[in-house]
Amino acid sequence: MTTPAVGADPAVLDVRNLSKVYGEGDTAVHALREVDLLVRRGEYVAVIGQSGSGKSTLLNILGCLDAPTSGRYLLDGLDVANLDERQQSVLRNRQIGFVFQSFNLIPRTTAFANVELPMVYAGISRRHRRERTLAALDLVGLAGRADHRPNELSGGQQQRVAVARALVTGPALLLADEPTGNLDSQSTADVLSLFDGLHAAGRTIVLITHDSEVAERADRTVVVTDGRLRDQVGLRS
Amino acid sequence: MSSVEIIRFAVRALLANRLRSLLTMLGIIIGIAAVILLTSLGNGAAQYIQGQISGLGANSITVFARSPGETAGSTAGSAARPLTSQDAAALGDPQGAPDVTYVAPVVQTTTTAAAGRNSENATVIGSTAAYFPGSNSVVEVGRAYDQADVDQAKPVAVIGRTVADDVFGVGSVPTGRTILLNGAPFQVIGILKYKGQGGGLSNPDSNVLAPITTVQSTFTGFGNLDQMLIGSQSTDTQAAAQSEVESILDRRHGITNPNDRDYQVISSAQIAQVLNSTLGALSALLAGIAAISLVVGGIGITNIMLVSVTERTREIGIRKALGATPGAILGQFLVEATILSALAGVIGVGIGIAGTLIPLPGGFRAVVVPAAVVAAVVVSIAIGVFFGGYPARRAARLRPIEALRRE
Repeated sequence: MTTPAVGADPAVLDVRNLSKVYGEGDTAVHALREVDLLVRRGEYVAVIGQSGSGKSTLLNILGCLDAPTSGRYLLDGLDVANLDERQQSVLRNRQIGFVFQSFNLIPRTTAFANVELPMVYAGISRRHRRERTLAALDLVGLAGRADHRPNELSGGQQQRVAVARALVTGPALLLADEPTGNLDSQSTADVLSLFDGLHAAGRTIVLITHDSEVAERADRTVVVTDGRLRDQVGLRS
Repeated sequence: MSSVEIIRFAVRALLANRLRSLLTMLGIIIGIAAVILLTSLGNGAAQYIQGQISGLGANSITVFARSPGETAGSTAGSAARPLTSQDAAALGDPQGAPDVTYVAPVVQTTTTAAAGRNSENATVIGSTAAYFPGSNSVVEVGRAYDQADVDQAKPVAVIGRTVADDVFGVGSVPTGRTILLNGAPFQVIGILKYKGQGGGLSNPDSNVLAPITTVQSTFTGFGNLDQMLIGSQSTDTQAAAQSEVESILDRRHGITNPNDRDYQVISSAQIAQVLNSTLGALSALLAGIAAISLVVGGIGITNIMLVSVTERTREIGIRKALGATPGAILGQFLVEATILSALAGVIGVGIGIAGTLIPLPGGFRAVVVPAAVVAAVVVSIAIGVFFGGYPARRAARLRPIEALRRE
């Protein structure tokens, strides 16, 4: 576990003083309290915390799926608060790859079509899509399952399809929310070694988990408790 | 994202849910088929009734004899006086009845018509030459009897198509041959054009038309008339002619109260009016049923599209997380609804038109109304856009995080 070197390269994630409050007045719930987080290019960061600690809220905000109540969030140097819904869609499409706990593949749709989907929304030509889809499926070891539908795949295979879908557009950031939460130990190992490979290839990964074994594979672990963030390996300024 | 991709997604989503797509379409298919079938039936009925009206004979007035007690409000004790040849002559007088163009006195009786071994029941109608235009009877082969035949009481007959088929053989042309009516020989001089069941109360194709003098001397005797067929110049003068007929007959029969009349007058305009109002009610009924079917089909589409949006909320969330813009989601759901309803419209038109080919009892057939077909297809697509639009907009507006949380 090493603290990454501070370079001239802008941070992929730059979160300052970020808060998220649900509800108002006496019933208000502070899911996140003045959180700061800096993730540099190529880093592999694990966010761990109990359920209800606010880690999922954090991930949703990082993924532009939810908006913070206050604070600033720069994604690849861009302030997302200034973007409208359409621009946020484009941003998610270009910059972020999601891997969810429940896989979230589109049902009754082949692995190939699932992986191809973000490139369709990006407006990439059919021929390029095909090449890159097959390459991504090959990378996760499922080149032979391109025509299978989600219900014809095991949980581990589905999650690998999801990983292929997340990385096919070459996003700046890979966001994984409990990616091994629904998997057996063998599949967990498969998916985590995929992440290791992606990290080695220089991808930036933020992974949320409540499993410290999973978190150990990351460069750095941050702990969320009651909406506050704490670096497990030395405090950051 | 191009529109081609949106259509591809929509088609793929529809194919991925074949059963649901089919059930959604079913409502529209039934609605459209019902619209086409019902308008075709209404149209067919209209044409059938119009045929009956034209079969009545243009601008004719029929006078029947009847007992005065038959009407409510009758104060009569006087005996009914029959219609006579003198009545007919009085009505034919242009001084008393200027709007009457002709008067055809009618006597009729049922006889056996025979030739060789064949025999068949036939109604023999004795009248004058004016009966042909008055009853809209057209001679197809041969000639009608004329005034000379009437004056000389010649034993000649113009027979209906059914009589010719039954007595002389199907499709035969028995002009010049002899037909025996209750054993009395008549020479066939003409055959009437086929009318179908379009001539009112009796079947005009089973009639035998002969000069009134011959029929009276052979069968009925020179007594009373059964009815009179009276013509007027045009539809406009028919009412005037009718009131002239009534005043002359009232005077001759000594009637002061119209309720005591011992005769009844029916004009073709009156019958047409009754038939037309019946037809109007029928058309309104059918249009109402058709409109209800379409609305039900449209509600079906909304229902299923709403269910589809709800059921696929999570999918919408995934798509948004992957970078689908609100426009792309709106487009996909709108295109899905439009494809469904357009396809259902086409299938419905096919079934509807096929349904009109089924033969119907009662001698009339459904006639497709082209405007109804076009309207049905346009309406079905409009239903898709309109009723599918609301669920589509809801889907597009969903916040990605809320959509993803939904199970």
